[in-house]
Amino acid sequence: MPTLDVPPEINRALRFYYTCEATTVNREGQPVTWPTLAYYDEESGQILLTASIAFPVKAFNARRHPQVSLLYSDPTGAKLEQAPAVLIQGDAMVTELLDYNSSQVRGLFRAMIRRQPDSRRLISNRIVRRIFAWYLFQRLVITVRPRRLLVWSHGDFSVAPTEIEV
Amino acid sequence: MWNEQLAALAHGYSSGVLSIVDSNGYPLSVRCAVCLDETRQAFTLPTPPAQAMAWRGKACLLFHQYNERLEGLRQMVILGELVCEEGLLTLRVSKFVTANGRQNTDQMPHATSPLHMLQFFWLGWHNARTYLARRGRPWPAIPYKLIEHLLDEEEVASPTVSAGVQHV
Repeated sequence: MPTLDVPPEINRALRFYYTCEATTVNREGQPVTWPTLAYYDEESGQILLTASIAFPVKAFNARRHPQVSLLYSDPTGAKLEQAPAVLIQGDAMVTELLDYNSSQVRGLFRAMIRRQPDSRRLISNRIVRRIFAWYLFQRLVITVRPRRLLVWSHGDFSVAPTEIEV
Repeated sequence: MWNEQLAALAHGYSSGVLSIVDSNGYPLSVRCAVCLDETRQAFTLPTPPAQAMAWRGKACLLFHQYNERLEGLRQMVILGELVCEEGLLTLRVSKFVTANGRQNTDQMPHATSPLHMLQFFWLGWHNARTYLARRGRPWPAIPYKLIEHLLDEEEVASPTVSAGVQHV
């Protein structure tokens, strides 16, 4: 049973959207939003994102200001009909990605391979993967615990969202 | 600072993601249509979602797109101040940011443009060295054998045909 108690269509959106728009808050109090591949771990109800150590600003922001949000609003590739748009506000925890034995990290890795199938060639190539280790493997993990969800049915932002406290 | 080249790329997007920070310190985002106002060097939101009408202050506008194989990535962030001007919600721009380190394109590097890829590699490699130097100890060995095993498992579970190389 998922520990995040949400309707099935929201569960599907969290599982199948390729990316979400992750917003962190920088030192100046400015929101900064970047698209990112997110993995929803149904077992824990948490959402995992990563950032390369070469571009760690998102993780540094989340470490300093743990309140973050994730907007699922672009269903390209997700093969969902009438997908809702979902905004998750949550609390973030930042760690370094080191343990490939962890079920969450394995889940994240599988999600990346499935959504971006050509990444398999990079990872399989022994030279390329070493040259780009700073991008492919040396990454920071941002684990988000959802606190509040806003849902726009059918991704229609012209109507008021439904709010779900978690 | 205004960037004409990057601003013009906004024409290629049907919508953007607008974000602010709410009174509880959490970011809030919506997707909405955005117009480029080159004369005033600003972006306007002619039909913002109802809950965004009252948003003011520090804001971020993200444009991004990709295809069904998560390739063809383009992304561009615009930071600024959200104000109401002439009855229109308007983002006064303070900064354009791209994820590729360049100031003339929002396209992420791809193997089909080796120079672009090389520039991205040097930027990333240099930044990673800086991170590791601050970390003070080397990154542990990457478990390539385990990663290859995960790749094999995934190939069995979900066979795919690679059709090109994409660096993101």
